[in-house]
This record gives sequence, C-alpha cells and structure tokens, in this order.
Amino acid sequence: MSSQGGVQYSKIAEIKGPLVIVDGVESVAFDELVEIQTTDGQRRLGKVLEVGNGKAIVQVFEGTTGLSISGTSAKFAGKVMEMPVSEQVLGRVFDGLGRPIDGLPDPIAEKFIDINGEPMNPEQREYPRDFIQTGVSVIDGMLTLVRGQKLPIFSGSGMSHNILAAQIARQAAVVGTSDEFAVVFAAIGVQFSEAEYFKRSLEESGALKRSVLFLNLADDPAIERIITPRVALTVAEYLAYDLGMHVLVILTDMTNYAEALREISAAREEVPGRKGYPGYLYTDLSTIYERAGRLRDKKGSVTQMPILTMPSDDITHPIPDLTGYITEGQIVLGRDLFRQGVYPPVNILMSLSRIMKDGIGEGRTRADHQEISNQNYDAYSRAQEVRALAGIVGKAGLTGVDLKYLEVGDGFEKEFLTQGVDENRTIEETLGLQWKIVSLLPKNELTKVKDKFIDQYYKEQ
Amino acid sequence: MGVDSALEQTVEKILQNTEQQIVSSLKEALKSSQSMLANSQTSLEQEYDKILAEGKKEAEKLEKQIVGNADLDSRNKQLLLVEESIEKVFEKAIKKLQDTDRNNEYSKLISTLLQESIDAIGTSDITVQTNSKDKSVVQSSLSKFPGATLSSDLIECLGGIKVQSKDGTMKFDNTIDARLDRLKPLIRKDIASKFGR
Repeated sequence: MSSQGGVQYSKIAEIKGPLVIVDGVESVAFDELVEIQTTDGQRRLGKVLEVGNGKAIVQVFEGTTGLSISGTSAKFAGKVMEMPVSEQVLGRVFDGLGRPIDGLPDPIAEKFIDINGEPMNPEQREYPRDFIQTGVSVIDGMLTLVRGQKLPIFSGSGMSHNILAAQIARQAAVVGTSDEFAVVFAAIGVQFSEAEYFKRSLEESGALKRSVLFLNLADDPAIERIITPRVALTVAEYLAYDLGMHVLVILTDMTNYAEALREISAAREEVPGRKGYPGYLYTDLSTIYERAGRLRDKKGSVTQMPILTMPSDDITHPIPDLTGYITEGQIVLGRDLFRQGVYPPVNILMSLSRIMKDGIGEGRTRADHQEISNQNYDAYSRAQEVRALAGIVGKAGLTGVDLKYLEVGDGFEKEFLTQGVDENRTIEETLGLQWKIVSLLPKNELTKVKDKFIDQYYKEQ
Repeated sequence: MGVDSALEQTVEKILQNTEQQIVSSLKEALKSSQSMLANSQTSLEQEYDKILAEGKKEAEKLEKQIVGNADLDSRNKQLLLVEESIEKVFEKAIKKLQDTDRNNEYSKLISTLLQESIDAIGTSDITVQTNSKDKSVVQSSLSKFPGATLSSDLIECLGGIKVQSKDGTMKFDNTIDARLDRLKPLIRKDIASKFGR
C-alpha cells in the first residue's frame, strides 16, 4: 500500500447502465480500483473494465443511479481492489464489498490481498481428500463432501436450499483431527429476511465465532454481486493457506451473480450468448469455482459449496450447465420431494459427488461406507421403478420382493432423507440408518456389499 | 360301585388334564412374560441410551453455543477498546501535525509533494491549492516549478497541497489528510501491535 493517491478525472464522457466512461485518462490499468465522487460528495467504488484511446470504462459497484456527467469525477487508485485480512475477520459480518456491517470497526489487517486471487499453480495442487462432516445424512452418506472439493447445490425457486445452506454452515466440521475449521458464507442478492436468518442462525448456534459472513442483499446494487464471491474467496484463501484452516465456502445464490454479469455484458453491448448471458460465462464462473482446492505443503483447504437456483427448474439452463462442467459433481434438490414435505429434498438419483471415493472408507469414515452407499443408490433406484410399475399394475400385481423395495423407498425418504433442521447426525448414525434401510430387504438382495459387512451390520427386520 | 369308580376315574382324569393344562399355560405365560421382560429390558436400555445420547448431544450443542457467543462477545469488546485507543492516538498525531513548524524541512516536503503531483498529472501547468498556514511555504516552493500557480482559494486541511490541471479535468489530492487517510489501515496495524494485538 502506498501513501500516494491517484489522479481524479472530471471528464465523464458517458454513463451507461452500471458503466461510467471516463475521457482523457492516462496510465490507467485494467482492473484498477476507481473511486467515483458525486456532486454531493458521495463516494462509490468501481473498477476499470477496459482502457484504450484515452478512455476508461469503469464498472461502478454501487450502481450509477443519481450520477450525472457534470459534477461526477473518477479517481483512479493506482491499485486493484484489495481485501484487508487477518484472523480478526472470523466472527464478523461484512457487506457484499467487504465492509463491516456489524457495528464493529474495520478489522486490523495483517495483509491486503487482491480480491481476484493468485492463480493456483496446477503443479502445486493436491488431490482433494478427507471428509467434511455436514451432519446432513444424505450428503455425508451418499454425496460426501471432500476437503478441497467444489460441490454445488442445484435448487429451484422457493425450495429449501437456504435452510440447508445455513444448516451446513452451522454443523460442518472436520472429524478425527484437531485442525481448525472455518466457514465463509457469501449471500449474493438474497432477501433481507434470508440474510437475517443466516446471521441469526449462526449467532444462535455459536457457529458465528468460526464464520465470516458476506451479505449482499437483493436491494443492493446488482453490480456489487460481481465482487461478493471474490472477497469471500480471498478471505477463505487467507484462512486456509496462511492460517492453515480447513475452510468451507458457501456461495448462495450464484444465479444472482450470473444475472449481474449479464447486466454488465448488456451495458457493454457485448454479443450475447445463450439466454443473453455473455459468451465468457464459463470462463468467468471458473475464476470463482477454481479457487477451491488444496496446495502441496499447505495445511489448509478451501472447499466450495456454491448454491444456484435453476430458472424453471431447468438443469440445462446455462448457469447449472456450465457450473456442472467445472465442479466435481452436484447435489440436486427435487421439486417432487419438496412438495411432499421432505427436508432436505435431495434427489439422489440426479446427484453425484465425483470425488467422494477419495474422502471416505477406512481411516476416514468407515470401511463399508462406499458399498452401503452404492447399495442404497441401487435400492432406491429400484424402488422408483417399482413405484412406477405399481402405478400401472397396482400393488396387487407386485411380487413380495417388489413390495419390500416399495418399503425401502418409503423408509429411505422418511427416515434417512428426512432430517430436522437442527438435527446434526454423526457419520456413524448416518451409516447406521443406511444399514437400517437396506435391512428391509432380504439378505440375498444386497449385491453391492461384501458378506463380511452384511454379517456385521445387517439387522433382520 | 363300578359306575362310581368309573366316574371317579373320569373326574380324576379331567382334573389331571386340567391341572396339566393350567400348569402348562402358567409355564408358557411365565416364559412369555420372561421373554417380554427380557425384550423390553433391551428396548428400555436402548431407549435409555438414546435419551442419554440425545441429552449429551443437546448439552454439547448448548455448551458450544454459550462458549462461542461468550468468546465472540469478549473479542468484540476488546476490538472496540483497541479501536478507541487507536482513535485517541490518531487524534494526538493529528494535533501534532497541525502544530508542526513550517521550517526548512517542511518546505522540502512541500517541494516533494509538488513534484509527485506534477508526475501524477503529467503536466506542470497546474493550479495549486493549500491552507492559510502553508500558503507562504507553497508560494516560495513554486518558484522551482514553472507553469505552476497558487490559487487564491484556500482549502481546509492539516497541510500539503491539492493540485489541478489548468483546464480543470485532472485533480490530485496530495494533502497530509489524504495521505493519512490512505495509510490509515497500515498505521492502525502498527498502533494495534503496540497494544499487543
């Protein structure tokens, strides 16, 4: 940080949507931080999107409402946007741009870090391993979250993804190690009531102490949403790689982020891609998602759980589609289960944690974890087929085994999937429930698990 | 007599059968109640363990909640106290800066600030603004910068200068206030470290 400030330019050529075009500028750099000053002395932050021919296009984070060409000036700070970081950020609540909103002073910074992050050297990356317990059975048991993984939740409008996000933030922990754990929670474009819920939920559970909250509300300027995940990830990287913590970053709702990106792209008159999103949506999303991981010789890890609402529950929509290409699996919430009152309404047949196998098993969770999970997948999928069949031929037309599978389907949804909002299940409890469900079937139906595990855990009912 | 004996035998047989039946059902009832007792003992124990485990879980949750909130509260109070002290240090520093002698050293500082401003704006055709206290120092320093003129408008600041290009499109704030503002996060850290933070 230098004591020398930047030059203030008062020749504004144009104000277009969230963009301000400044004329007659010299020595300005791409991504440079800009302070826009209004006629009444108000200050807003922005960054340089493009420079050339003596002009600079500035994206104003707090919006351009109320700005006029005359009287507005732009001060180029000579540096990129930085986030002050230290251990003191834990337990704090910030707005979408990283400014405290909890009534406490700015944290005393140990470092100022560029919010765009350092690109991770692929050679230095370590494969994600080890288990993060969320206390949510369906995730821990069948879609296990692994340290350093990026595992998104695909939800739909009005579904219980925010309740699930808050539950994960409260309960998540690394088990079997004394390593420190932290949660960075970034709410992007959420309603005030939701933001209050997240805050209260962490405060009341005592989990705020190990959390950092970034709240960008629905009525905050949409452009701020571009910054929120980046400041959150900057803090997460500091906690992970400088302080050696295992950090879980929850980003909700990435759809609002993509909408903000579309707004800027439209204002820049860029050629639109699918559904009006910019052609670089994939690249842009990857600059966020790829900030998850583990580094060789570094103790900590950054695990990401981005949450996005699929417009019209359409999984082929560009946002979930492109997200799915970058991330390592997905947890899909099902509208049918949600309507039946199942919480969390995870549709396991559409969900997958690609690197689950590296975080579970003997020494991590339990030796039978993978096999009992596969058996549950198999049984539930068969139960769905039997349900469909029963819809045609009626229950009377089903065999005895088919009827058992129907019981398994119901038991799976009512006992295993359904869980209290405050219910924190250990991995032992989760695996116990999985065995209880498959024990509704005769032993000879259990084809995915070894006999030794059947002898040990099968409970005849 | 023969009839009586036969009757007696029949009654005896019925009594024996009934006794056997009663004894057998008693045995069965005993066995079943013992098995029920044994079963309920297990389920009772399971229920008992479950209640204990849930209670333990709840207690751990409450402990975490109470300890977490207490830690956070005390940390926040410390933060506010440190901030209060930092503000006091700043106030004193500002007072000291206000009372600084406008001596030869200060004149050198103004020259440095002028050079920095000209470099930043990219032209020496500038108008300089300062406060009433620094006016004469700035005026004398301007002789080294042809093209630079001192504005008659005074500004409110601790010291230093504000510079703008002659056409008014570029401004550069090089007052002590602005520099202090920019360095405040670093200075805060230094002050806090003196308080052991």
